[in-house]
Amino acid sequence: MPDTVSININGVAHDVEAGQRLIVAAESVGEVIPRFCHHDKLEPVGKCRMCLVEVEGPRGKVLMPSCTLLVSDGMVVDTESAVVKKAQEGVLEFLLINHPLDCPICDKGGECPLQDQTMQWGPGESRFVEAKRNFEKPIPVSDVVLLDRERCVLCDRCVRAADDIAGDPLLTFIDRGNHVQIQTFPNEPFSSYFSGNTVQLCPVGALTSVDYRFKARPWDLGHTRSVSFVDTVHSSVDAQTSRGKLVRVYGIENDRVNEGWLSDKDRFIFSAVHSPDRVTAPLVRGDDGFEEASWSDAMALVASRLGGYLGGEVGAIGGANNTNEEAYTLAKFMRSVVGSSNLDAQLGDGLNPHLAATVTPRATIDDLDRAATIFVWGPDLKETLPVLYLRVRKAVRNGATLVVASPAGTGLDAIAAHVVRYRAGSGSDVLRKFASGDKGYEGAREALDAGPVVGLVGRSSLAEDPMMAEAAAGVVRSLPDSKLLTLLTRANIYGALDMGLAPNLLPGRVSTADDEHAEMLEDAWGHLPRGTGRSTTQMLEDLASGAMRAMVLVGADPVRDCPDPGLAQRALEAAEFVVAFDAFVTDSSIHADVILPAAVWGEVSGTATNLEGRVQEVNASVRPAGQARSLNAALDDIAHLMGVDLRAAKVADVTREIAAVAPAYAGITPDHLTFESDGDGVIVPLEGEQPLKFIPVEVSVPVVTSRLTLHFPDALYDDGVWNRNAPTIAGLARQAEARLHPRDASMLPVHEGDIVSIEERFVMPVTLDDTVPVGSIVVPRNVVGTKGLTASTSVKVEAVEGGA
Amino acid sequence: MTAAANWEAGRRERAKTMLGAYPDRRSAIMPLLYLASLEYGHVTEQAMTDVAELVGVTPAQVQSVASFYTMFKREEVGKYLVSVCTSISCHLLGGDAVIDAVEDATGVERGRTGDDGTFSVERAECIGACGGAPAVQVNYETVEGLTPDKAKALVKWLADSQPEVVLADEMQQLFGGVRSFDWGPLESEGPVAAVPAFGPFGSAKEGR
Amino acid sequence: MTWISDLLGPFKGFAVTMRQVGKPRVTRKYPQEKRVKPPRFHGRHVLNRYEDGMEKCIGCELCAGVCPANCIYVRGADNPPDNPVSPGERYGFVYEINMLRCIYCAMCVEACPTEAITMTHLFEMSVTSKEDAIYTKDELLVDPDGTPNHPQAESPLIDVKELRLGDGWMRATSSAGRAEYEGVVAWTPQARNPDLPVEAGQSAESTGGDDG
Repeated sequence: MPDTVSININGVAHDVEAGQRLIVAAESVGEVIPRFCHHDKLEPVGKCRMCLVEVEGPRGKVLMPSCTLLVSDGMVVDTESAVVKKAQEGVLEFLLINHPLDCPICDKGGECPLQDQTMQWGPGESRFVEAKRNFEKPIPVSDVVLLDRERCVLCDRCVRAADDIAGDPLLTFIDRGNHVQIQTFPNEPFSSYFSGNTVQLCPVGALTSVDYRFKARPWDLGHTRSVSFVDTVHSSVDAQTSRGKLVRVYGIENDRVNEGWLSDKDRFIFSAVHSPDRVTAPLVRGDDGFEEASWSDAMALVASRLGGYLGGEVGAIGGANNTNEEAYTLAKFMRSVVGSSNLDAQLGDGLNPHLAATVTPRATIDDLDRAATIFVWGPDLKETLPVLYLRVRKAVRNGATLVVASPAGTGLDAIAAHVVRYRAGSGSDVLRKFASGDKGYEGAREALDAGPVVGLVGRSSLAEDPMMAEAAAGVVRSLPDSKLLTLLTRANIYGALDMGLAPNLLPGRVSTADDEHAEMLEDAWGHLPRGTGRSTTQMLEDLASGAMRAMVLVGADPVRDCPDPGLAQRALEAAEFVVAFDAFVTDSSIHADVILPAAVWGEVSGTATNLEGRVQEVNASVRPAGQARSLNAALDDIAHLMGVDLRAAKVADVTREIAAVAPAYAGITPDHLTFESDGDGVIVPLEGEQPLKFIPVEVSVPVVTSRLTLHFPDALYDDGVWNRNAPTIAGLARQAEARLHPRDASMLPVHEGDIVSIEERFVMPVTLDDTVPVGSIVVPRNVVGTKGLTASTSVKVEAVEGGA
Repeated sequence: MTAAANWEAGRRERAKTMLGAYPDRRSAIMPLLYLASLEYGHVTEQAMTDVAELVGVTPAQVQSVASFYTMFKREEVGKYLVSVCTSISCHLLGGDAVIDAVEDATGVERGRTGDDGTFSVERAECIGACGGAPAVQVNYETVEGLTPDKAKALVKWLADSQPEVVLADEMQQLFGGVRSFDWGPLESEGPVAAVPAFGPFGSAKEGR
Repeated sequence: MTWISDLLGPFKGFAVTMRQVGKPRVTRKYPQEKRVKPPRFHGRHVLNRYEDGMEKCIGCELCAGVCPANCIYVRGADNPPDNPVSPGERYGFVYEINMLRCIYCAMCVEACPTEAITMTHLFEMSVTSKEDAIYTKDELLVDPDGTPNHPQAESPLIDVKELRLGDGWMRATSSAGRAEYEGVVAWTPQARNPDLPVEAGQSAESTGGDDG
């Protein structure tokens, strides 16, 4: 119970939490004080003076800015006196002096705090008759954000957000007095992964986004609360539509998850939903390529072909971009109708499903705020889970000690107290030394002994042995007062694993080895093949060798995302029958015999589970493109054609069934999820314990010994099908580059900017980087120019003659 | 490999000393900007980028500091920077006539630099010489009690004799009038460029 | 004596007719002859232009927002800088009014910040299909000389002059409101004062961004 103080606002006494800013305390008791620069998630600056209130002091009542004033016991505040009113009118008249009042053409018009507060608190007329400030407008401060300086009221919100929250202080004030303006440095754009947040924060229309420019007005927007499917953090978003199209995505303050912040990819990827390249009708391979077919013909074909194989000859890959309900239906369809346990939502790019889905003790995202030490062993959070990166930044800002281990520089290095750098492939060696507090690692090791510790463990790159994360998890587990979060990154992968889309998991975080539960599930489903199925890599190998014959691809693109793209290519070419549920013709689904158009994020409703195990509602905001359908509806129909009733046509039925048969999800009702009730979702299991608890132990991982080992990390803006189809961010896709330590470069020999070839196929320029350990090379995965590169542990690198 | 590594050796050393003098590296931004402007002639974009690299902040943050203080010149400044005060005291006692006279004599508009690079003219906020208003500074060396005619003579003297080092006392004797404090110590050092004559940044004694 | 009243019965009915014979007629030979509409008559809308031919509509969608019948569809777009459609950054890219839904309340006229949409005295809008009742921007926009677009403008039955007068309702409810502001454009979408130099600082070229 926090301390309370008693304050008197407008003659009414209130007990409020101590240590708060007056503006926040007043709002909590229903007295709203107008503000521009104050924002709950930013440090107070007291710049705009809009929040002036009268506070009684020893020398009588004085005007004080309530956003920088801490409440104290016995404080007497007047927010409505004539003096306050005059101050507010004065401040607003002052702020409006240089404001162009071009509200009808301004994108903020209609949802603008300046408009609203001028209406409520402002003077009726301005006495200012002189010429206003004049700027070139709008100027692009980044690829996604435009700046209209004359609309700016100099509140400092964007500057603070860019600096304190995102750590990219690229926007600043320049000049002073009546010449002050917001600026970037010349030729250094505001290229932050979080620049879109400033658009949402801006209390006027000074910062606007390129892709929403003049698209709609606030009053014709439809709002749907949902979660972002860009990564596994599942940031709460407000998907805004106009005339049946998504036009904008805003962050929602879900303090347990994203605190209102979004990455630019979360914010701008929605335009891919309306891409003209979407598959909008079933495509069936004919004599000369794909031909459009009716759903009934396509489904009849799928049903008859899939029914013609033995269960084990069919496998399914994918399901991570779908809702829990869709994933559950896929798992049920494959296991009970097709009769196959060959299911994997991960593409060989993840972790042991038991570790990812059932790690114990599992941390929550807001455990980061309570941690004394945060230990990151895994991918670069800034590139893969940007919103989690912000949460870690916040925790560090508030005093947590950060220890980062990675095979190359990461976005967190700048704020880390200890950076443990290891050469890609030799992580286990370093981990062992580190765990034992070996020479050189004492400081980091000591930091870990100060609990509570939150360990964020994952696979630093596709080229790393997935056991490495398990070994790191084991080390964290051995610390007292430690909790773990695993770092898988693909959309709803945690939901998919929880729904049994893994060779060794059944729905509800149950191992396939749990016979008791399997029997119960068999009763519910009618049929259930026992035992462990094949993983994606095994499936692809078996397809290529002919041991398996058919494949169901669900929004998965193994040719791009598997560690061995060549194998995926061979496997899909060798398969007798491939059916793909996909929104796009991808490098993988192009090998399919039937492509069924899938409804995607924004078009489907259901639930989703994030990396901490939080189940949240996903809501459709637009109708599916063309004839696209949700996976559960399509599978329900196909199952009917195969003579089985999946009872999956309605999402609500599936949600109920999950609550009934999936132990970890037991007792979940729509009431837990609707955003109206609490809004932040619930962490499962609600009560009791799930049947499977994976407790990581320290395992040994072989060290790779080769001349040049490969670190193959993911990039935020990659060359994936979604990024490519979202025009706003498509141009931001990273280009291939090989980062080398100067010493390795001199041995090749190459210089900065020279061209090298990797595995004799991939050519890219060299960047010298002394954060890369000697003996390894860093190449971003799945960016422009690295498609098809195998994630092997070591690579052959050669200088290309006549390059650069 | 920062661009500041290419600075003149003495300045590199000074930069190192300055960075060491502050517990928080950011605090060194302002003195380093003076150094950088000696290196490049004025605070160029390159100068700001160099300082940002040295201090470990973004160039935008350095630009924010550099543009706040009017004495960091982001455009090229002439050999003699004539700053005419037009704040209250000087304004009341004819500072505006003085700046008009200076503009006339130099042929340079306020806020600009002449084509031959001899003069820059600017309007300054209070330079702390209210007792001797109107006051003018040449390369931050103050002359008090000027009239438009005396100001013209001052400009002519500067243009003709082109002194290497500008000294306040010399100018005051030749062209000045009423002084705020006639008991002030004599200054023997003057600046050699349009930056203030602070010891570490280059003054008459040290030479360039 | 009922037989007498029975006898006169048929003639009684003509009494009304007889009373009216000498009075002036109120019916007109429409469409050859037309009644003068009151000044604030709510007829079909037009989209106006400035005197230099630029469109007044800036695509702000306030008319669509205020419309109680939801019959207006507007979409704004970036004004091409080399060949601007309207002054300012934004112009009405799509402008459609469904005249079947419209209730001629003129709230769009009141809402318009630039007096771009006004109502005329034109009321003859019969159509042969529902699609034709949706007036597009081409049909709504006046000619450069201010003449409303009319499909039968050549017909002697159409009084284009009257159409050009605009309507009194617009004058009574214009954005400036008060009578002394009549005819004065109180708001222009030009945020920039063309007579002033642009302030120093960064320009679009030096920010390094690609778009804009």
